[in-house]
Amino acid sequence: MHSIPDPNLSVTIGKIKLKNPVMVASGTFGFGEEYEDFFDLNQLGAIISKGISLKPMMGNPPPRIFETEGGIINSIGLQNPGFQDFIKNKLPYYKKIKTHLIINFFGNTQREYVELARRFDEVPGISGLEMNISCPNVKQGGIVFGSDPKMAYHLVREVRKATKLNLIVKLSPNVTDIGLMAKGVEEAGADAVSLVNTFRAMAVNIHTRKPELGNIIGGLSGPAIKPIALRMVWEVSCRVEIPVIGIGGIMKAEDAIEFILVGASAIQIGTANLVNPRTGIDVINGIKKYLIQHKIEGVQKLTDLFNT
Amino acid sequence: MALQTNGIVVKNERIKPLYFLLTIYCPSMAIEIKTGQFIMLKVSDSHFPLLRRPFSVYKSYPTGHPDKKKSGCLLILYKKVGKGTQKMTEFKKGQKVNMIGPLGNGFSLPPLPFSNDIILIGGGVGIVSLYSLAEVLKSQKLFVFMGGKTKDDILCEEDFKKLNVSKMFTATEDESLGYKGTVIDLFLYQKKRFKWNKPLYIYCCGPVEMLKELARVVKFKGVVCQASFEARMGCGFGACWGCVVKTNDPKTPYQRVCKEGPVFNLKDIVWE
Repeated sequence: MHSIPDPNLSVTIGKIKLKNPVMVASGTFGFGEEYEDFFDLNQLGAIISKGISLKPMMGNPPPRIFETEGGIINSIGLQNPGFQDFIKNKLPYYKKIKTHLIINFFGNTQREYVELARRFDEVPGISGLEMNISCPNVKQGGIVFGSDPKMAYHLVREVRKATKLNLIVKLSPNVTDIGLMAKGVEEAGADAVSLVNTFRAMAVNIHTRKPELGNIIGGLSGPAIKPIALRMVWEVSCRVEIPVIGIGGIMKAEDAIEFILVGASAIQIGTANLVNPRTGIDVINGIKKYLIQHKIEGVQKLTDLFNT
Repeated sequence: MALQTNGIVVKNERIKPLYFLLTIYCPSMAIEIKTGQFIMLKVSDSHFPLLRRPFSVYKSYPTGHPDKKKSGCLLILYKKVGKGTQKMTEFKKGQKVNMIGPLGNGFSLPPLPFSNDIILIGGGVGIVSLYSLAEVLKSQKLFVFMGGKTKDDILCEEDFKKLNVSKMFTATEDESLGYKGTVIDLFLYQKKRFKWNKPLYIYCCGPVEMLKELARVVKFKGVVCQASFEARMGCGFGACWGCVVKTNDPKTPYQRVCKEGPVFNLKDIVWE
């Protein structure tokens, strides 16, 4: 018997090559440092930062989080210290990490998106940008751009002009046709798309007869959304040529493999990070084990093996 | 540094109709955790409840404690309130439980020995995190106020007695034990016995409404009033920003209960 070589876990997302397809989703991984006690962050394919805006954002009033069956609804409201403070106080930590750093960013206006992209373009040590056009928790921007294909196209086209960095656009599932959104974003020059962000949702307390969240509505994430997210990743993969990054309720390697089978080049772990901070590592190991068990030489081959 | 580790259930017993005492063998946690800090406990392997649950530690016995049965153990006193704590009541002896901790910033102590009185005010299960503080401060002049809806919500009485605290006061809303009213009503009733013209320390833990009421009645001049907050938490270690309270910090008004807290100076809290 001859030994099987280790499977190749590396994947290419636009202009960057990741050592494995596992990233951690924006907003669920803080600024990285919150996780350093739990594992070596360098093992991840990429780290995505918490969403950054031009000016600081205070976030929404509490309560901001509510647990539902198989999921959580959050209305954090993109609380972040803003570009300047981020560069001064948060980026130095990220720079100590050797794996890819992708900055998630958003604006309230097209000008803010473009300005931020231009500024990050000049910051060394960043592998790419993930443009959030899909947050359900802020009134301005975010989802407003992400639910109208024409607006999304124009916005991404302008941001594309402002940066040479690898540009991922994060899509909202709160649309009629996510394939159409992805197509528009691809035509506008995005290097990749990531999906899905959270589903607009709410919960009510029948004893107090009040909404469970201070913001009334929030975004649902976690295992409850996985089947819908998977369907959307499949639909988008059929429509675009650029890499698709699958997100939505991935709790374990098997979930990640499903996303990769339907066409995702890489995946992001979100809610699961909160429950088990080491989920990313477990998923990487689980994918590797699956590939070895099934004698598949590389993770990129997986998508070709999907039988419909 | 926070650890993610498994402990083993030693005992899980009902001590009052809605309250349970859980003993977990976990030497690495027992030696690290300080008064006012908490752990995040995984209560189930299923997806509901999905999130871990935060618990302050009632007692911890680092390895080498003379009582061999307790050596290396953590004690958690919890109230059955919802799905998560319901699951915990099903914990069996010998079962593994995953936990993350120690988390958060605990209470800061007065300069010791402290010349004036130290007041502890606990509402319901909130008294539990004050007990571990009282152990640290046991040689000081401690005045303990505890309150609950009924006598079944009054916890740790025997513990405080054993510590020989200067005085204990009890309030229940249904008058089944002690003073009739909330623990804050009782505190106000007893307020005159304390020397307010000298620096005074108050430590409190309980529901948000109780802390809000305390903030309203305490004049903070010369008084250090530290409050341990309860909140729904996403992660417990600062990543998700789900558990915030509003403070007077000009740069970051919403601060994390799990990271900057759970103990805050009550005067810094902005009530809405």
